[in-house]
Amino acid sequence: MTTLSLKRIAVLALPMAALAMTTSAQAQEWTPSKSIEFIAPANPGGGWDTLVRTMSRVIQQESLADESFAAINVPGGGGVVAWAQVARDSGNPHKLFATSPPMILVPLAGASRYDHTDFTPIARINTDYSIILVAADSEYQTLEDLFEALKANPGLSVGGGSAPGSMDHISMAGLASAAGMEPSAVNYIPFSGGGDAMTNLMGGHIEAVIGGAGEAVGQLGEGSQLRALGVSSEERLGGGLAEVPTYQEQGYDYTFDIWRGVMGAPEMPEEAVEYYETLFAEMLETDAWREASDQLGWIDAYQDSETFGAFLDEQQAQFSSVLTDLGLLRQ
Amino acid sequence: MDALNNLMYGFGIALEPINIAYVFAGVFAGTIIGMLPGLGPISALALMIPITFAMEPSSGLILMAGVYYGAIFGGSTSSILLNAPGVAGTVATSFDGYPMAKQGMAGKALAIAAYASFIGGTVSVIFLMLVAPLLSKVAVSFGPAEYFALMVLGLTAVVSLSDKSLVKGLIAAVVGVMISIVGIDTQTGTERFTFNSIQLLDGIDFLVVALGIFALAEVFYMLLRGGGGKEAPRNAIGSLKLSGSEVKKIAGPISRSSVLGFFTGVLPGAGATIGSFLGYSMEKRLAKDGDTFGQGNIKGVAAPEAANNAACTGSFVPLLTLGVPGSGTTAVLLGALLVMGVTPGPMMLEQRPDVFWGVIASMYIGNIFLLVLNLPLIPLIAKILDLPRPLLLSMILIFCMIGVYGMSFSVFDLLLLLGFGLLGLGMRLFGFPTAPLILALILGNIMEESMRRALQISGGDWSTFIDKPISLSLLVIAMLSLGLPLLKKRRNKAATAAN
Repeated sequence: MTTLSLKRIAVLALPMAALAMTTSAQAQEWTPSKSIEFIAPANPGGGWDTLVRTMSRVIQQESLADESFAAINVPGGGGVVAWAQVARDSGNPHKLFATSPPMILVPLAGASRYDHTDFTPIARINTDYSIILVAADSEYQTLEDLFEALKANPGLSVGGGSAPGSMDHISMAGLASAAGMEPSAVNYIPFSGGGDAMTNLMGGHIEAVIGGAGEAVGQLGEGSQLRALGVSSEERLGGGLAEVPTYQEQGYDYTFDIWRGVMGAPEMPEEAVEYYETLFAEMLETDAWREASDQLGWIDAYQDSETFGAFLDEQQAQFSSVLTDLGLLRQ
Repeated sequence: MDALNNLMYGFGIALEPINIAYVFAGVFAGTIIGMLPGLGPISALALMIPITFAMEPSSGLILMAGVYYGAIFGGSTSSILLNAPGVAGTVATSFDGYPMAKQGMAGKALAIAAYASFIGGTVSVIFLMLVAPLLSKVAVSFGPAEYFALMVLGLTAVVSLSDKSLVKGLIAAVVGVMISIVGIDTQTGTERFTFNSIQLLDGIDFLVVALGIFALAEVFYMLLRGGGGKEAPRNAIGSLKLSGSEVKKIAGPISRSSVLGFFTGVLPGAGATIGSFLGYSMEKRLAKDGDTFGQGNIKGVAAPEAANNAACTGSFVPLLTLGVPGSGTTAVLLGALLVMGVTPGPMMLEQRPDVFWGVIASMYIGNIFLLVLNLPLIPLIAKILDLPRPLLLSMILIFCMIGVYGMSFSVFDLLLLLGFGLLGLGMRLFGFPTAPLILALILGNIMEESMRRALQISGGDWSTFIDKPISLSLLVIAMLSLGLPLLKKRRNKAATAAN
């Protein structure tokens, strides 16, 4: 009786309660029976890889799980190769992978046989936001300046760190449409990464850059060659970005989340999903996690499996309408 | 004198016993990683991030930088001994290094590579120390148009890489560009030449092609030409010592290529590779004995090795002064620094001088360690050539397969490797040079992307390539380096005809 009600509380709610739960409710809990394959669907060094390795490290450091999380890189096709591999492993409770907006965008662009509905959502972990940058000596002081210039001269180039139809482009297109522009009228230049785009902005080769706030924060502040015009969050961000106004403050009703989360193999047993979502909620409360995510500029944005699943469906609807406007929908 | 004071300060940090230990551990691990293809410096560094997490930032960067330049230092070994370049930056080293090894001069080739790497590394640390802040402007002055022009200049090396027949060299280069196109096009997201195979979505890795058409093709060729040891046996590795005249011969190439390598390294992008190819073809043109390049000329080993190590150090300029990564490897280093709480960029010199100067000082020490470490190892490592022919060939085969499989864990890539081995064999039998194919494969991608980006920025106006002074001058140099040898040839022909 007690175990049951305790368990219910933990599932419904708070990470705080989770700690008490794991100690007292072991009897009927599912626990992993071997080490967990935690896949980063990309090469070492990128966003997915950093998430996987940081989570695995914190879980191990804080002894949150009896079995270890083994970080594995399965690169290829922006996630496609890893997804195909996980999709074949239906029901396996020991297989997880890191995920973010490309999980929605790549399938919409017609590049993957599998989409997010083929996998089990486990939890959303954290989020980053888009940021609009210009050169420090640029004449644009506000987003309005930039959009007026873009409307007057659609040839002006806005760089981003990813291919057309992927995160940076979608984020820019959504903002442009909130600013009353035709999204496809933005001359979006894809670079091979956020760093590459920022270098080109410093050299004056392009007018503006849209990128991840976490990646840009190191480039802002005193002595910097770049300046931020706005962030896509609902409220102002902290730290080095406290001075940067949101889109909404400047009258553009638009927000964009670069969320990151964890998904598992298709048809994962419910007990296993419960185990992981509770474990991750617990992980977010540790000091080791706090420290790591402060340094990486991550903002916690936990959602449990059910909420995360619904959120993913919403994202899919939203992205497919933007992609349709851009003429990039290929489903 | 400011630089000297700062350097003394840096040595104060780098000479702390724990940091000396880290430099040593870094360059030692790097040398080993460099010798084995597959586990490149990028993956090695990504795996090290958890280890460095708790370290002092200066120690962490000292260790990781050591792995990086150590890997470039050690990378020449497999190029020279087995014709199996593990990273793109050491491909050019195999052109003359492997022929030298075949002629029983493996020891000398490895020693020259070590000396050239040492000098290239050291010269570029001096540059890094003196002019890094000034050069940050140079690094950002290269936009898409300028990169396109630089790649065009790089591709002109095809002329000097195709000895017997320029037409065959050009055909090989076109095949290389075609291979570079395979995969998802990053400008539009369209799949090209993938034949609906998800394994081809990311394109074909350089390593698969290089190990296939160089190393595997060599194995096939030796098998065909009577592998039973009819050819001259690979006798001893020869002496490591260089004669006075040899030192004189390579002094010029090493110093020119060190400078060239450093400046190409400063440009974010494919620094080490372009640096080593440009260094090689520049020396080939300058040398009086240029026609013996490719047959075991010591200058052909010295130039690319000095250039690729100098470029590796040069790539720290954009990382440390701008906070932008110039290559995949420095991107991982940037990530590691952020985790340690250090933000590289314009303010780093003021905020964290200990990291900046500590790393620079540690590079001097690291390069000395590398030389001292590598020279005594040469006779041991080169012993691999004493193995009986059948054993050696099987070892090269296994070595290539482990390298490719260890990179992607994909059996498909092993089949590709085999395919490229057969392609390489065919090219050899029909007299097609393989070097232009590799060069075009490496440069083709960046060339195409930069060209399309530049045109998208300019709104489709081609004059963007000649409006920009840097781009224009690079294109002019490219035209000259293409045109002059052809003119010279024609004049020679006309002269012989007149006689």
